[in-house]
Amino acid sequence: MKKVKKMLSLLTATALVATLAACGSPQNDTGAANGGGNTDGEKLKKITIFQSKVEITEPLEQLAKTYQQETGNEVEVWGAAGDAYMQQLVARLGSNQGPTIFSVAQGPEAERLKSYLTDLSDEEFVQNIAPDMELKDEDKIVGIPYGVEGFGLVYNNELVNPSDITDLDSFTKFLEQMKAEGKNGLSLSQEAYFLIGHILNTPFALQQEPLEFIDQLNKGEVKMADTPEFQEWAKFMEAIRAHATNPMEIKYDTQMGDFATGRTAMVHQGNWSFTMLEDFEDFGSNVGMMPFPLAGNDKIAVGVASYWVVNNQADAEEAKAAKAFLNWLFTSETGKKAIVDDFKFIPALTNIEAGNLDPLSEAVHEATSSGQTIPWALNYFPAGIITNDLAPATQEFFMDSSISGEQYLQKLDEVWARAAS
Amino acid sequence: MHRKDKAWFALFTVPLLFIFSTVVIIPFIIGIIYSFVNWDGIPANPKVFVGLDNYVQLFQDTRFLMSAWHTVQFTLLALILVNVLGLAFALLVTTKLRSRNAARTMFFMPNLIGGLILGYIWQFIFTDAFRNMGEMTGWGGIFFNWLLHPQFALYALVVVFAWQLAGYTMIIYIAGIQGIPDELMEAAKVDGANMGQRLRKIVFPLLMPSFTICLFLTLSGAFKIYDVNLSLTKGGPNNATEMFAMNIFNEIFAYGNYGLGQAKAIIFFLIVAGLTLTQVIVTKRREVQM
Amino acid sequence: MKKTGKWALDILLLLFSLVFLSPIFIMVINSFKNRAELYENVLALPSSFSFEYYRSAMERMNFFTALGNSLYVTITSVIIVIILASMTAWMLVRTDNKLSKIIFFTFVATMLIPFQTLMMPLMQVMDWIRSTLHIPMLNTHEGLIYMNVGFSSSMAVFLYHGFIKSVPVALEEAATLDGCSKFGVFWRIVFPLLKNITVTVAILNVIALWNDYLLPSLTLSDVGLRTIPLSTFYFFGQFTIVWNQAMAGLTLTIIPVVIFYMFAQKYIIKGIAAGAVK
Repeated sequence: MKKVKKMLSLLTATALVATLAACGSPQNDTGAANGGGNTDGEKLKKITIFQSKVEITEPLEQLAKTYQQETGNEVEVWGAAGDAYMQQLVARLGSNQGPTIFSVAQGPEAERLKSYLTDLSDEEFVQNIAPDMELKDEDKIVGIPYGVEGFGLVYNNELVNPSDITDLDSFTKFLEQMKAEGKNGLSLSQEAYFLIGHILNTPFALQQEPLEFIDQLNKGEVKMADTPEFQEWAKFMEAIRAHATNPMEIKYDTQMGDFATGRTAMVHQGNWSFTMLEDFEDFGSNVGMMPFPLAGNDKIAVGVASYWVVNNQADAEEAKAAKAFLNWLFTSETGKKAIVDDFKFIPALTNIEAGNLDPLSEAVHEATSSGQTIPWALNYFPAGIITNDLAPATQEFFMDSSISGEQYLQKLDEVWARAAS
Repeated sequence: MHRKDKAWFALFTVPLLFIFSTVVIIPFIIGIIYSFVNWDGIPANPKVFVGLDNYVQLFQDTRFLMSAWHTVQFTLLALILVNVLGLAFALLVTTKLRSRNAARTMFFMPNLIGGLILGYIWQFIFTDAFRNMGEMTGWGGIFFNWLLHPQFALYALVVVFAWQLAGYTMIIYIAGIQGIPDELMEAAKVDGANMGQRLRKIVFPLLMPSFTICLFLTLSGAFKIYDVNLSLTKGGPNNATEMFAMNIFNEIFAYGNYGLGQAKAIIFFLIVAGLTLTQVIVTKRREVQM
Repeated sequence: MKKTGKWALDILLLLFSLVFLSPIFIMVINSFKNRAELYENVLALPSSFSFEYYRSAMERMNFFTALGNSLYVTITSVIIVIILASMTAWMLVRTDNKLSKIIFFTFVATMLIPFQTLMMPLMQVMDWIRSTLHIPMLNTHEGLIYMNVGFSSSMAVFLYHGFIKSVPVALEEAATLDGCSKFGVFWRIVFPLLKNITVTVAILNVIALWNDYLLPSLTLSDVGLRTIPLSTFYFFGQFTIVWNQAMAGLTLTIIPVVIFYMFAQKYIIKGIAAGAVK
């Protein structure tokens, strides 16, 4: 139940973060001076970092070099392809080859690895984490957020006026109109998260208490098919199936390519997808992000994808070095600059100011600042369910138009029950 | 056996057996032990002994049983296609054709690439290239997006697998064909045997060891198929192409049911071992000793 | 056969093998395109053949270090596999008793175990060796070579076993009478006769080990130890793949094996030519 409260307070709390971040510049400098000087020339043991976001591997390696130049301490960055991270992490932990610092996602993943997480509550750098943005085990702080990310309807502002699409009717009408013009109104794509994971987040996030709802769903006490937000959501899915290109035919690459060339008006995507638009000349300036207009929803979904954690199997020397590095990362000017400029994260710490944001990240940042966000309930779905259960059921729905929205929901309930058992 | 022979036997076999045991046999036995345990695969988390529960549970897992059925279908088709192609290629490139060397290299090349990229390229072929070809030729019945059709998605896997593996078996068939003494073929020619007769009466019987090997390699490769499965169809559409290995892998790494996954792997192993050993024994019987 | 017919066959064969290779062609041309070009048409030729993505891929992969590591691991593993597996297989064929049958079938049967189920226990065994015997099995090339030998041995023994039968026993008996030890008989008489199958085993193992990702990814952690396939991870995000660099990287990965294969194949063909003359 603590989690539920946490989730809800996230909405208001995130507002606080951003305001603090926006006006916190002078304080930052002093904070950096205090925190960054922590290492004071003492040679620390070499540490290793293993993390899931391939895209930041190179900047991180670069940063490790800078860190060594500044402090004389060594940090080695290991690497794994995006899909293989978890499996390699588990295998390494199993053979006592674990990294000193690694990354975990919220929810079942963090739960499974709980016994490896070091309590960081007393560290200086965690004090700056925006309220409720930390990873907690009971009341201990065990993880520091990478940054915030958000998803919603990413639109081309030459084709879409966000104020025109506010509910199921206007949404459906828009899809029909686009279809008549030979364009695709909204594109999902075949990858499990882009097909179902993210879009299904909305009805969950709109529940009074999303985590409690998930809990009840796991126990079979409630059903999606009986819940109004889901019923309406299923109608959205029916509209997408009827009036938009079959997502099964579309890959992430083609989805973003169609979008960038004006063949698709909207995609259900996150701010991370902006990098996919970079090769398409200056198209990027035409995009924006708006809420998925389900049941009056006017907020985009914002959350934290991964957290830095310190392996508690590491010896005391290593743990010390790991904390020193994290402290440097989150409080020194060099570290903070790397987070926003090189990792391109939207910061989730109050002492870090957002960098030059692309339009989508800007939208996420603004929503966070103004508190117009709904949470990422999908992090709390049972482990593996999106790829292995929800996606197949959704593929069936998109391939067989005789399946009604209602039957689809029943099917989702059925596979959910199986996966949660 | 004499003592001296025993010593030689040990000297020749023990080094490899030692390595093999530490790398394969012992881990496999540990794996069997884990199949009686309820555990999520995270070393620090509790392991609870549950006896045969995992084995009971897997037989109620309809999805696992379905994946078994897909794997059997896939394997049978793959077995035929891979070996027919591999043998045909081998026969072609051991003729006196001028292009044989180039062809031999080209047939083998698909074997050299793997992983995600391969899946992406073939996805493109089945999705976009097939649509274009369908429009051009008007044969919409053959050229449509195979990956969206449950049965054809399975055929697509067979095609890609055969494309990759045909060159592999070709190599082994070539080695076999070259082992056939030229005198034998020349003599047959002189006696007036035509191409078909020579193949049937000389080449095929003498190729029996190659058949045994190739059938076995394809069989074990097809049963264990994972990479192509993941990169081409991800088990879809709607789980229609989820194979054994993928099901097991997901059980272990996605759902975190390590013990159950191991139990599935053991059952899988027993079934496959039973089938393939029968196959090996059957074909071995037909081998001709020189 | 008539000359023209033969020519036609030649051309047909070449055409067919070109079609067969088209996926590789697709891979190569797309290593020259940016995301926008790739999206527009996967089949079209790139607007320019600049080697920009190759350069950046090589830089990111730290290509020459990785190449050195891959060469060391692959060549050493394959040589050890060939030596040990041929010896073992020969003994198993020539010793006709229950024990050798059991050993042979154990080798064969284990080829059917999916690697994923061995992975965790294997890491535990290796960790145990490291902590009790103080032999660094993990995060070293030598440890990886050891495991490579273990995993490759089944297939190698299986292949040798099949072909050793065609080596006439009479030769070996004659050599033994001449006072050769078993060791001498094997290396002087038998092994040279196994040349074709040895080349085959070498080819198949070189390819499998060269491209192997999973096992090295579990055992090698340090940046400086990475093999070529391991170094390509930079291009594969969970959702986003840098296609041009990934395809360039893959093309770079397979070039050494293609060269090796063409070389090894010549070796086999020489064997045929010699046979044809006599």
